Amino acid sequence: MNTVETVFDELVAMLRDFDGREFSGAIERESWFFADLGLASIDAVIFGEKLEARFGRKLAFGKALADLARAGRDDFQIGEVADFVCRQVNHPESD
Amino acid sequence: MPRLRLSDIEVHYQQSGQGPDVVLIHGFTSNLAMWAFSGIIEDLRSRFRVTAYDLRGHGLSSAPASRYTSADMAADYKQLHAALSLGSAIVVGHSFGGVIGMHAAAVYPETVAGVIVCDSYFPGLAHLEPSMPEAEVWQDLRRTLAQAAVEIGERVDFRRLIEAVANLTPSQTEQIKEALGAPGARWLAQLGSLVRTTAAEETFAVAGLSADVIIAVQQPVVALYDEQSPFFATCRFLTERLPRCKMDVIPGAAHLALLQNPAGFVEAVGKHLDDMAQAAGTISRPQPAMQPLLG
Repeated sequence: MNTVETVFDELVAMLRDFDGREFSGAIERESWFFADLGLASIDAVIFGEKLEARFGRKLAFGKALADLARAGRDDFQIGEVADFVCRQVNHPESD
Repeated sequence: MPRLRLSDIEVHYQQSGQGPDVVLIHGFTSNLAMWAFSGIIEDLRSRFRVTAYDLRGHGLSSAPASRYTSADMAADYKQLHAALSLGSAIVVGHSFGGVIGMHAAAVYPETVAGVIVCDSYFPGLAHLEPSMPEAEVWQDLRRTLAQAAVEIGERVDFRRLIEAVANLTPSQTEQIKEALGAPGARWLAQLGSLVRTTAAEETFAVAGLSADVIIAVQQPVVALYDEQSPFFATCRFLTERLPRCKMDVIPGAAHLALLQNPAGFVEAVGKHLDDMAQAAGTISRPQPAMQPLLG
């Protein structure tokens, strides 16, 4: 069973060396994907691909991005992603 | 990341869903993330196999120095179509993506079952849009960038814009971020990948897609234009002159419907895709999709 903490640690490791770009600053649950990590919109798509590869299953990350946009939000926190992945991985029946 | 090797580039793409093939082609200076954020892929994947890809020079695809006309991009589409073993696909193209879709429909008709042209400006129909060089969307951008002391000129000039963006100071970048908002600033930042290419010029070349070639397209076409589109004369031309063209309008949008009215855009595209696929006998009447609850 993945915990939010272990998933979050996995995400931090992925983001430290993201697609050949190293990030040495602090990455907290409250860190913003775009604003704090300086990533671009296409990086969110890549992040979704990497999450699926890392956790070995399809994740509804595309829908999550669309839901964010429709809610008028233009950024998301890494802790939110950890919560989302944990739910999807531990409760695949919710798909 | 899924990538394909084509003749002179690597293309980044995503594919999901099952059913008749739909290919999403983004516009000049955008990338496939625009589709992801609009929710259209999630909406369509329950009844179509949806393929979206980054055009050459955009997103995560290679950025060679040249070959950025709609003819070149249509050739890329044809190669991608073959490499992924797609069936004859309905192409949904936003802006320049619609030009590419129509170019492919004209030159490689066996690969295109239909086209949804979303607020596209066609270099081959430039005579219909004499005010395009002073388009309001450009004037809005110009006024915004001027707040950061960045001048891009009164007439649409992507070469100047791309070079200006490539030479921004950190302070100008911050000012632009405040003025444009984070998504706008992110869009601007990625233009740098085009600075050493001929894309700014070649995108606006007719490249063989003249008015006569456009109106010879036999596949069904939907001219889906925004309510405040700067290119409504083009919309009327397509509707009146193409043999099988319907027109539809996205309310409350002015060229960027995916951002300005994503729900309306997704609904309209889905409806037209269903109609086209049903007319072709490739799908039955769609059922409402069950979406996972993310909470």
